[in-house]
Amino acid sequence: MHIPDGFLDVWILAGCWLLSALAFAVASRRAAGRLGEERTALVGVVAAGIFAAQMLNWPIPGGTSAHFVGGAFAGILLGPSLGVMAMTAVVGVQALVFGDGGLLALGANLLAMAVVDVLVGYALFRVIRGLHETAGAFVAGWGAITVSAAVVGVLAGLSSAFAFDLATTLTVMTVGHAVLGLIEGAITATVYAALVDARPDLILGRDTAAALGEVQA
Amino acid sequence: MSATVRKPWVQRALAVVVVLALLAPVFAWGASAVGYSEPLENAAEATGAADDAEQTPSLLSGYALPGLGGGLGTLGAALVGSALTLAVVLGLVRLLD
Repeated sequence: MHIPDGFLDVWILAGCWLLSALAFAVASRRAAGRLGEERTALVGVVAAGIFAAQMLNWPIPGGTSAHFVGGAFAGILLGPSLGVMAMTAVVGVQALVFGDGGLLALGANLLAMAVVDVLVGYALFRVIRGLHETAGAFVAGWGAITVSAAVVGVLAGLSSAFAFDLATTLTVMTVGHAVLGLIEGAITATVYAALVDARPDLILGRDTAAALGEVQA
Repeated sequence: MSATVRKPWVQRALAVVVVLALLAPVFAWGASAVGYSEPLENAAEATGAADDAEQTPSLLSGYALPGLGGGLGTLGAALVGSALTLAVVLGLVRLLD
């Protein structure tokens, strides 16, 4: 999912930086002043956990790999604003320290994994949780990573390096991640269900009011 | 913050992060053993974009620590990356509050 430098055209890179910066600014503004020590710790450990989980590359016979991305999980657990902030830290460290994803392409990677993945995952969860909460978490994890991949497919397909072959890039990215996303959805749902049993008060995205209050000890 | 860090749920969450980091070398070995690629790489191969990918200069390229090969390097990268991510988030949040 991480886009290296050299893949996207300049106008696309600029547009992605603009959109991801705008999303981060809105998220920061919404989160400012609402963060106590416990919520700060929660955002920190969730982001650190997602970084570590993203290093677990599952070998899939046939020569494809998948790893947990975690944007939807961050959105469900932390709510959209803190979710965007947590994933921005994850994707930023990956690019700036580990060279995973380009520096010029960082805006595009942030847009896909720290904005679209978080917001689509949160929205899907909020829509479906009324029917079944765990199913909502599964669909959020699966759907958000598929939509994020489709966004990357569109960005690539509009770039000259990919010969403007939008049909190919969109198909490969969307179909590939729609399949791999089943694992993302399963992990999201499994961890969500475990947290609901153990510490439902830590799931800020579950209840709008919870996003405005302090996490209970 | 020190009182918060001592709370059981925070310590359990940090323990989970460490366990995930310990698993990273195992998964890295498994993935390299089957020769994998991600969908974006497949799309790049299909459209001729693969040669345009540029390596990003970085301190810890390839999720490995200098001087530490194989599993130890991956484990170190997982621990360092998780700690850095935690520090970045705490820094961001402190700026906001």
